[in-house]
Amino acid sequence: MGVKVRIPTPLQKLTNGKAEVECSARNITELVDALEKDYPGIKERLSEGGKVRRFINIYVNDEDIRFVNKEATVLKDGDTISIVPAIAGGCR
Amino acid sequence: MLTITRTDLARIIDHCNAGYPNEMCGILGGRDGRVEKVYCMTNVRPGPVSYEMDPEEQFRVMKDIREAGLAMVGMFHSHPGGHAYPSSVDVERAYWPGTRLPNYPSAVYVIVSLLDRANPVARGYVIEEGRVSEMPLTVLEQQEDHGIAH
Ligand SMILES: [Zn+2]
Repeated sequence: MGVKVRIPTPLQKLTNGKAEVECSARNITELVDALEKDYPGIKERLSEGGKVRRFINIYVNDEDIRFVNKEATVLKDGDTISIVPAIAGGCR
Repeated sequence: MLTITRTDLARIIDHCNAGYPNEMCGILGGRDGRVEKVYCMTNVRPGPVSYEMDPEEQFRVMKDIREAGLAMVGMFHSHPGGHAYPSSVDVERAYWPGTRLPNYPSAVYVIVSLLDRANPVARGYVIEEGRVSEMPLTVLEQQEDHGIAH
């Protein structure tokens, strides 16, 4: 099972500068664990208590996992997963 | 320095005015410190003191920018009742959650203050590891290649 993962700039220190990595996983939860094996420390950056952190958006191909099946969203060979920080703020 | 045409700056201000008194937001595509495309975005957390770009729209726009061979040179949002300076929440959200690592290290955060609605003020900032610094905006008058400091 091979998927491609696009790594955002602030996490590239953990992936030795790589903007794209490959790994094997059947869903997002497995993907986070698989990434952690290769790039220790990344799980804590991506998730908290088994859930993807607030203000971090994950897309499988072009779909936001929140509108599919969240952490249980199924991955298949050849999928591209993008990890993208939200753009947000406030005036206080 | 971030360069933008008078027309593009007017588009940003129009979008911010259209959503008043809520905060409005958008993305700036371009290259070499120059804005070439303004994307007006949906604020999915609308309020006078909050914004969050629609995540799917953000993804599509970032892809569009890449496919056009451009980069995300900046983003903008309005402060309907505040000054054109990043708030503590703006700075917090510019970093990866729980860290001081900037999410978009080379992007300019443009803030449009509508405090004086007749005279909107737009200013740019870069938010780096633990530091906010102003990145001056240069407004280009149309069809002319000389910049006028704004
Ligand atoms: Zn703000």
